[in-house]
Amino acid sequence: MATDQINKNRDEDYEIDTLTNDRLIKDHSYDGIRELDNDLPPWWKWLFYLTIVFAIAYMIRLWVFQADDLVQNREYELAMEEAKLNQPAKSAADFSVVLLEDPVSLAKGQETWVKICAACHLVDGGGIVGPNMTDEYWIHGNKIENLYTIITNGVIEKGMIPYKDQLSEEARLEVASYILLKLVGTTPATPKAPQGEKF
Amino acid sequence: MELQKFTYDNRLSNMFLWATVIWGVVGMLVGLTAAFELIMPNMSGNISWLVFSRIRPVHTNAAIFAFVGNGIFTAIYYSTPRLLKTPMYSKLLGNIHFWGWQLIIVLAAVTLPFGLTQSKEYAELIWPIDVLVVLIWVVFGLNLIMTMVKRRVKHIYVSIWFYIATWVTIAVLYITNNLAIPVSWSMSYPIYAGIQDALVQWWYGHNAVAFFLTTPVLGMMYYFVPKASNRPIYSYKLSIIHFWALIFLYIWAGPHHLLYSALPDWAQALGVVFSVMLIAPSWGGMINGLLTLRGAWDKVREDPVLKMMVVAVTAYGMSTFEGPMLSLKSVNALSHFTDWTIAHVHIGTLGWNSMMNFGMIYWLVPRLFKTKLYSVKLANVHFWIATLGMLFFSIPLYFAGFTQALMWKQFTEEGFLAYPNFLETVTQILPMYHLRAFGGSLYFIGALLFVYNVVKTAMAGSLVRYESDEAPAKAKPKHKEGWHRALEGRPLQFTVASLVVILIGGLIEIVPMYLVKSNVPTISSVKPYTPLELEGRDVYIKEGCYLCHSQMIRPFRSETERYGEYTKAGETVYDFPFQFGSKRTGPDLAREGVKTLPNYKPDSWHFNHMMNPQKVSPESIMPAYPWLAENEIDLSLTPAKINAMIKLGVPYSEGYADQAVADLNAQAEKIAAGLQASGIQVDKNKEIIALIAYLQRLGTDIYTTK
Repeated sequence: MATDQINKNRDEDYEIDTLTNDRLIKDHSYDGIRELDNDLPPWWKWLFYLTIVFAIAYMIRLWVFQADDLVQNREYELAMEEAKLNQPAKSAADFSVVLLEDPVSLAKGQETWVKICAACHLVDGGGIVGPNMTDEYWIHGNKIENLYTIITNGVIEKGMIPYKDQLSEEARLEVASYILLKLVGTTPATPKAPQGEKF
Repeated sequence: MELQKFTYDNRLSNMFLWATVIWGVVGMLVGLTAAFELIMPNMSGNISWLVFSRIRPVHTNAAIFAFVGNGIFTAIYYSTPRLLKTPMYSKLLGNIHFWGWQLIIVLAAVTLPFGLTQSKEYAELIWPIDVLVVLIWVVFGLNLIMTMVKRRVKHIYVSIWFYIATWVTIAVLYITNNLAIPVSWSMSYPIYAGIQDALVQWWYGHNAVAFFLTTPVLGMMYYFVPKASNRPIYSYKLSIIHFWALIFLYIWAGPHHLLYSALPDWAQALGVVFSVMLIAPSWGGMINGLLTLRGAWDKVREDPVLKMMVVAVTAYGMSTFEGPMLSLKSVNALSHFTDWTIAHVHIGTLGWNSMMNFGMIYWLVPRLFKTKLYSVKLANVHFWIATLGMLFFSIPLYFAGFTQALMWKQFTEEGFLAYPNFLETVTQILPMYHLRAFGGSLYFIGALLFVYNVVKTAMAGSLVRYESDEAPAKAKPKHKEGWHRALEGRPLQFTVASLVVILIGGLIEIVPMYLVKSNVPTISSVKPYTPLELEGRDVYIKEGCYLCHSQMIRPFRSETERYGEYTKAGETVYDFPFQFGSKRTGPDLAREGVKTLPNYKPDSWHFNHMMNPQKVSPESIMPAYPWLAENEIDLSLTPAKINAMIKLGVPYSEGYADQAVADLNAQAEKIAAGLQASGIQVDKNKEIIALIAYLQRLGTDIYTTK
């Protein structure tokens, strides 16, 4: 769209800008600011057209074709299905709940403890919202199976959430082992009063 | 042709200029404080009005409305009379505008840190201040329009087009978004709830960027770039096309703030496509700015004013390309709720807005005070420090945003979240927060050099209060004009035309959200909040929790595994105002109360955590909120709150207001007793009890039936 078309200018309406040799529009002067009569840069025009085409195509994909990636619920369902299909079995065939004593497992257990369990039991195991894990008192028993079960299924009414969907079997066992072998018997900074029975 | 003599009064533009300088420093200092609080969470020393979540709105409001706002008014009060060859219409209106605007800023500064907030981003100001804003805006508009009526120049220049569009659109946006039912002098509930409120808010929020941080600054650019370079505008045609395209398209783009939320697909799609179509119209402004400098690049090398404007316009081009990219769903899936957004907006504010303000003021002060800039060298140092500061600010945040997004989405081979503990993803990016604070410090030092330089300049001269000029009286055009040229000669019609153009998008997007029921499908198990939960919700709003915690679980596997079922529109219908948030510095809280989900925490955990977050999570960057256990809920307001809710259509039974306090007490007693059983002594009327009640309610409604 040229200014000639928009504004019906004639040749005598222009002067030449000496630095660029472009046409200045004669009667356009605002507090000394002049305006050139340059056309829209072609690449700019094409960019604009391209985005308009994109917009139309996008809306057609949604409104006419209901494309999977534009219908939010469908996109989510497909992603969940795909994840289910590709997921390896969460349970290893040879898994059994036995105390792990090797330093690698205990180190991993400690990592999980600090990242997750410490929010309620504190890093040193002294307990704050959750019970003290360093003393000899236990609410649900002090065997590795007891701890593993609690970590797996939680005690929801007390605020202990189940970790079966967040931690692998291996990770749950590691952290249970870490508690029994590394935390029990230590002296935390601010121990919570004993809860449960003495073992 | 007889020339008429008249004088410009520089007093108001000079006053706005110094207000810009002062509020600029204040706004940046508050921002810097917030940046340091993120790496030293308890830096505020348990002073409630200094905590991050209370001062973050002070920073954004000061930067937008005080710093950029006063800068815009400086430009308008200086350029409009000169472009129209007439003094501003009324000194009285101008004075009311100036002092009214400064009063608004001061009122904002003494309300927001004390938790008096509406919680809608960049619309936090409480309703009495909103009323004042509208009045002052009308005064400003009246002055602008009457100056156009009295003009001697027949046609209005492109800067003025942008000023007009700014005035019209901000008026429409501000009023629509702030409609509310007052409960007291300091609080109100918006008339919109949940997803509808979110749509109105982000229609406003995005267009605050468009019509407060963009259009008036383009108007500023169209005046000061050709003035400072003494070059003609590159293309008048481009001005026309990009102006109308920009204001028409911009108003539609708001929903891109709500991609992958409970907003219907059609509205999200409109947000995407209109954002993409904005690239060219935005770049039209950049091209017209940069190509105006053809033939003057040698001047740009020497002159800090032009250098700053070039960086400003380039930053504008960068962020208006990045914006549409962030509006693509696949990019937004990563960027949203992360520091990527923070980096993006700061390219706009530190680059485009601030640099334009600095450039304009460096150009203007020597002219207003009839002297030379005190030190060109110092201005060049400022230029380099500011540019460097901007890079040190934004590059680490881009990196932080990208890193954290990937960590949130990472699964292990067994199909578990790789980083189930949100805090781990925060600790990972903390070094980037340190770098950001360093970048911010650099930028701030640059701003101090700027203040020193312009103050020294002003002191070396004296204010030229009046400048005389002369121009012929307004004359009819010599020959027949094209339609646009004719419109330029009719500013009132021009104003109406821009109003019509900006109303289209807003109406088409917002009205169906209210009229078409399928956009917000009802969920029968979703019930209104109990009075205690409602009070807790108001505490949540007051403390600004939404500034770091979202309440919008997006429909991604990585989110539903972490936070539970994704948020449905029908769950938000009693949320006056909505609390989706826009940034996750901490985890999402939309389903905080659901006992079977990974994020569930018992009451005692919440109590301990609010009192001292580092006690339960040593690496947490959340500040402590100990005053929640000291402040009491104001029960005298509870019945009024219930009645306001009833007026808004919340189905409490008639006369429930009378029973509300008794119900509140009963629920509070239960929570206090539960805490006592865990060894925590706290009175049932304390704010913390209400907040815990609210948190434990969050997201539970659709789980109770399962």
